Amino acid sequence: MFLQQVINSLMIGSLYALTAMGATLIYGILGILDIANAGAYLLGAYVGYYVYHATGQLILAFLVAMTAIGLFGVILHRAVYGPILAKPRMLSIIPLVAAVGLFTLSSDAVRLLCGAGTKAYNFRFSTDVLHLGSVSIQTTWVLIFALTALLLAVLWFILNKTKMGLAWRATAEDPDIAKACGVNTNSAMALSYVLGYGFAAAAGIMTGILYNSITPALGEVPSYKMLAIIVLGGLGNPLGTVVAGLIIGFAEVMLSTYTQIPIPKDAIAFVVLIIVLLIKPAGLFGQRNKV
Amino acid sequence: MGAYVYSIGATAAIFILLALSLNIITGYAGQAMMGHAAFFGLGAYTAAILTQTYGVNFFAALLLSMLVTGACGALLGLISLRLQADFLAITTIGINFVMVALFNNLSITGGSLGLTIVKPTLFGVKMGNRQFFWLTLILIVVLCLLIVKMRRSWFGMALASINNDAGAARSFGIDVSRYQILTFIIGTAIAGLAGGIYSHRMGYICSSDFAFVISIQILSMVVIGGIGTIRGPILGALLLTFLPEVLRFADDYRSLVYGALLVLMVRFMPSGLIGDNSPLVIGCKKLKGKLFAKKGGQKA
Amino acid sequence: MKELMRIEGLKMYFGGLKAIDGLDLTINQEETLGIIGPNGAGKTTLFNAICGVYKPTDGKITLKGQEVQGLPAQEMARKGIARTFQISKPLADLSILDNVIAAAGVHEYTGMRSYFRKSHTPEVVAKAEAVLEETGLRELRDKKASDVSLGYLRRLEIARVLVTDPELIMLDEPCAGLSNFAINEVTELVMKLKAQKKSIVLIEHNLPITMKVCDRIMVLSYGKKIAEGTPEVVKNDKQVIEAYLGEEDEE
Repeated sequence: MFLQQVINSLMIGSLYALTAMGATLIYGILGILDIANAGAYLLGAYVGYYVYHATGQLILAFLVAMTAIGLFGVILHRAVYGPILAKPRMLSIIPLVAAVGLFTLSSDAVRLLCGAGTKAYNFRFSTDVLHLGSVSIQTTWVLIFALTALLLAVLWFILNKTKMGLAWRATAEDPDIAKACGVNTNSAMALSYVLGYGFAAAAGIMTGILYNSITPALGEVPSYKMLAIIVLGGLGNPLGTVVAGLIIGFAEVMLSTYTQIPIPKDAIAFVVLIIVLLIKPAGLFGQRNKV
Repeated sequence: MGAYVYSIGATAAIFILLALSLNIITGYAGQAMMGHAAFFGLGAYTAAILTQTYGVNFFAALLLSMLVTGACGALLGLISLRLQADFLAITTIGINFVMVALFNNLSITGGSLGLTIVKPTLFGVKMGNRQFFWLTLILIVVLCLLIVKMRRSWFGMALASINNDAGAARSFGIDVSRYQILTFIIGTAIAGLAGGIYSHRMGYICSSDFAFVISIQILSMVVIGGIGTIRGPILGALLLTFLPEVLRFADDYRSLVYGALLVLMVRFMPSGLIGDNSPLVIGCKKLKGKLFAKKGGQKA
Repeated sequence: MKELMRIEGLKMYFGGLKAIDGLDLTINQEETLGIIGPNGAGKTTLFNAICGVYKPTDGKITLKGQEVQGLPAQEMARKGIARTFQISKPLADLSILDNVIAAAGVHEYTGMRSYFRKSHTPEVVAKAEAVLEETGLRELRDKKASDVSLGYLRRLEIARVLVTDPELIMLDEPCAGLSNFAINEVTELVMKLKAQKKSIVLIEHNLPITMKVCDRIMVLSYGKKIAEGTPEVVKNDKQVIEAYLGEEDEE
């Protein structure tokens, strides 16, 4: 029923937006497509799983995972991405290859450490499903949507109302000039990773709760789908990412429910992207000024 | 023992073709191409359909699949003119996924069941690993000679100029768009050729043989070996084909090692193992310089 | 003097920005024409419009009787328009010699046919080396362009221009960012080209150099021509002085 599908689209789309937000923040500052962000998503899901099952506290699971993975992101920046980007004149695929390597590494590390089997979050509310008129929504989806909205609101607040956020936006606009104005570009970059990887970790936990299962292959689909979403929204543009996430959510739900095209659900994001790029080569909202 | 070597050799040879052809697009022309497996698969399926469904001769099918793949490469080339590097990278990934989805869902490609191919005959003998190995090896040698000729020609100078500064290249007469499209055509056509050989050598193909992960493997061969050279992709392909065999005992750790290798290479040796600016090559040059200085030769 | 290029009613509008707003200019053969003006006046935009980097919004550019406005940069290069860049664009990974050889192929880059012709033939190498000699870069022949200082890079750009046997040499601020010594070297090079009766258009901020080197000067301000004539005439033009120094402040 149509309204039901609209609600479904909204839920899925907002989760996509959250998952993709990390990659957007990192692109905005560093200009690299961080496929490894999906590794943060995967690691977040697993760290959250272990904390939740050890303590029974979901909120704690979120906090621990987001902080730990966020810090992990900063370490990655210092150890890998920073030095790579500092090298002069390099093909754009080089950081991408590093990101792919990191993602493969983290996926396989999770498999070796935690086993290849499925793990279940088993998180439930007392009421499984809410019925609002003719629409039914799983309670867990409501939780996820609320959390996503909250996190995105926090992000908006940080970026637009705090000094740190201003520093981030300045660095994203032009790192050299920002530095010349006394902006601490290093902490702006660290902020990107803390927020970006933290958000991905949160999204990972949410996915684990929603579908009640996590496997080491959890990050595979998001790794490329999120890139399609951030490119669609205009690289480095957080608002664009939210809109693009919603669009893809809608496209996937609507197309798979109402049509019979020979494209699997996960490839729809790319079809939409290719079509949009042919009309608007810089994405829906264009790119931040990246040389 | 011999049969085993020919088997691995045939695989390695096909991937050498793939790595060399990708290097033309990413190394010489500097374009972001992360969906090479899509064209590998396009060639594989096209050749297979031609020989199996339409009874076309194997070698003619190879040629035709090159044409088809090259034509699609031209389309991609046209798209690449409108898109900046990062957008192009994602688009090529997207093309890879869409192609694989099409392979997996269209009836002409056998859908999710894949295609079975009867091996072709050469001079009355059914082609096996040995024949495919030698065929591909000959093609590799021919390709290398053609690439060497390109590097020494004005075509090569055009690519090198575009790679360094497209604006400057235009200022002395280079039609950047035309050369970009041409390299996409050439690179994808050769991938299609490799695909045609692959499908007939394997006897069976399915969509997952050409997934995005394969594109990454080919790219890794180029990057690890040394992008922008002839020897680099060859070494990279050999390494990444033989090493998993040699390290079979550690099969479970394969992805881990592979991922770590990629990160370490790009972080510490972005020129690759034997690329132009790699420590190994620079070390050899210094050694050569010292040797010739000792022999009383003139210092440059 | 024989006319080489005529620009009539040139307009370059970028959305609402009128970078060049109706410009008429004649460039003559064997003449050194200077283009000066305050920052943002549209000087480099004018170069880009002439060289085919930008497509003019309106106007006509005629080269030796042929209309050439709107042609892409690589075609203008083949018609004999050669230019340097305000921010140097060397081919960083190539040697100085290869940088010049790359430019020497200006008429060779015709698509697939260029595959069949060898680049480093003895003739081409000799020609490139001759140009290196002329621009004082012979010693740096084998050095990688990324390892070379700005002064030499500017001369490299001039060398790239010369090796194409151009009809018109266009220099965009060749002295920018250079030490006094390097400025002198570049100036000497331009004087040498002038003595060889080459047609030159020069953008420069360094006014003394411009006055010394140019036969005629055009002054641009906010996309319009505000003065034109010999250095003496232009130096004393009231509008020019105003444009550069601004109006008197009422303190």
